[in-house]
Amino acid sequence: MNEIIVARNLSKTLGNVKAINAVSLDVKKGDFLAIQGSSGSGKTTLLSLLSGLDRADAGEIKFDGEDITSMSEDKLALFRRKNVGIVFQSYNLIPTLNVLENIALPLFPDSRNKKEMLERAKMAAEMVWLSKRLNHYPSELSGGEQQRVGLARAIINDPKVIFADEPTGNLDTETGRMIMDLLKKLNKVKGITVVMVTHDDGMAKEADRLIKIKDGVLTNE
Amino acid sequence: MIGYALKELENRKRKYILNIMVIGLVVVLLITLSSLGVAFKEASRLPFENIHSSIIVQRNGNVPENTSGAVTPCSLAPIKGDYISQINKIDGVKGISYGLFLWVFDKDNFKRTLGVNWSDDRGKIIGSELIEGSLPQSDTDALVERDYAQQHGLKLGQKMKVSGTEFTITGIVETSGKDVVSSDVYVNLNSAQTLAYNSKNLQDTEKFNKNDINIIFVDADQTKVKEATDNLKALFSPPTSNGGKTPTGQTTGAYSIYTPESFESQISSLFMMSDRLILTVSLVALIGAILIVIKSMSHTLMERRKEFGIMKAVGFRSKDIQSEVAVETLLQAIIGYGLGIVLSFAAIFALAKTTVSIAIPWEMSPYPHFLTSNPNLIAPVQTYPFPIKFEAMYSAEVLVAVFVLSLLTVLVLTRYINGLNAMEVLRYE
Repeated sequence: MNEIIVARNLSKTLGNVKAINAVSLDVKKGDFLAIQGSSGSGKTTLLSLLSGLDRADAGEIKFDGEDITSMSEDKLALFRRKNVGIVFQSYNLIPTLNVLENIALPLFPDSRNKKEMLERAKMAAEMVWLSKRLNHYPSELSGGEQQRVGLARAIINDPKVIFADEPTGNLDTETGRMIMDLLKKLNKVKGITVVMVTHDDGMAKEADRLIKIKDGVLTNE
Repeated sequence: MIGYALKELENRKRKYILNIMVIGLVVVLLITLSSLGVAFKEASRLPFENIHSSIIVQRNGNVPENTSGAVTPCSLAPIKGDYISQINKIDGVKGISYGLFLWVFDKDNFKRTLGVNWSDDRGKIIGSELIEGSLPQSDTDALVERDYAQQHGLKLGQKMKVSGTEFTITGIVETSGKDVVSSDVYVNLNSAQTLAYNSKNLQDTEKFNKNDINIIFVDADQTKVKEATDNLKALFSPPTSNGGKTPTGQTTGAYSIYTPESFESQISSLFMMSDRLILTVSLVALIGAILIVIKSMSHTLMERRKEFGIMKAVGFRSKDIQSEVAVETLLQAIIGYGLGIVLSFAAIFALAKTTVSIAIPWEMSPYPHFLTSNPNLIAPVQTYPFPIKFEAMYSAEVLVAVFVLSLLTVLVLTRYINGLNAMEVLRYE
């Protein structure tokens, strides 16, 4: 089996809006998939369903052969912790934790060895060139640095898939380029599958595979 | 978890300091108020402890027809001296002191006169208060209380008349405010018995035999006070009552047997009120603290919605976040409790430096109501160092209360955390 994600007939309604409408999608292991769509097209909602952050109203998602749509909240949380790394457009760092602690955050609940936890966080920080900013707090970092912290946090658990929601959306072109290069490096060098949502044509074309979404429906591939 | 919680407390110290202060203040209130309650009760026993006696026996009698010569107050009617040997046989009785307390209405002045057996414990205590001169060597010697001596210009070696009998002042004692049965003049028991026996007014009021006394102090084994009291009640029952009442409502002829407990209940009506007040204030403080801490923590959690959303997104389960919040709450409780203990120590230390004044009931230290020139004498006041102390037991009880407070807070917050949806939080924050 080469597919890491198999989604069938996914639907999700937010308020009165059908954000996702009968979407079916396969993602192969090692893919770098870009989902492109305009604002309100449903791309972030689709990403949240595929990553197990949110539940679909209908349909089924199999992640590496395991059905995540029927999992309890706690099991879903554990699933995310072990299999998924998520990069947000707005970074979503915890302001009271420094860079090292923010990166190590996913290890907090079950790490009994603090030293090992921080070592892993340092290695992740090294991969995103943040070794010299470990003791800084988010408020002391630039947007690009904060997004690199988010990226390091996403890879600390050696995830099977990184879900990136507009990872360059709040960054200037040069910094966005750097983040994109990092994602590609993680995809090529470490073989991590990447599912990225973007509205940017340039960034979308960087992916190995591009699908478009409009009004909650996949329009082409 | 603890590291994260400590960091959280450090970074949001302004928020959490309110909780810590509230918990600290509640701890101070609960410990100090509990200590005050017990200290008041202890204080009410002090006059009893001060006379080194466990039980006091008195008898209620008739009011004299007129104010002349030596009489016994109605709360201290004569008791047959024969009872002493019977009391000595009661199990648990370690020692007995006894005396004869008289009101002496002489032409020029009124004097309280106590006949003392100088060899018993009471006699020794009074003797230890001697500040000048020596103890009476004969039945015509007397000690005078310092205030009384100053008031009447009495000096050592001077002669004074008590109910027509001349005494030589051999010593000055300072007993006012220090003893339950404080007197103006102290003479040999034998001298007082002679004065009483020869007093027509007294004999007309109460039958007085030569060896009668009117106050007995029983020193009982601490573990047998109750049994000894019961046996004394049996010995002095049934009362030889004529059905009358004393001015203070006691049944004439009946015996009054005072113990530290009965003394406490007699003089502690004010303290009992304090008990209720203490309980009310403690409950209000505890409930107030629970509400403040829950409200404050809820507010803080609302502010941290996004943080919890991020935590859930990266794989924290609800119970992981609950544990985190529980640790944070517990840490605040521990710090607040520690602060409260330190402040309680300081408060109790300061209170222990103060004094407490206790009014002795008239029955135990009677003074004629109609001689009201010095109202303090009618209800003599004794002052003691306030017997408040820090008890480990209270701090343990308060620790339980603080733990319950933390638990309630965590329980309330748990519902909020469980209902938190990561995607919804991140979508709208």
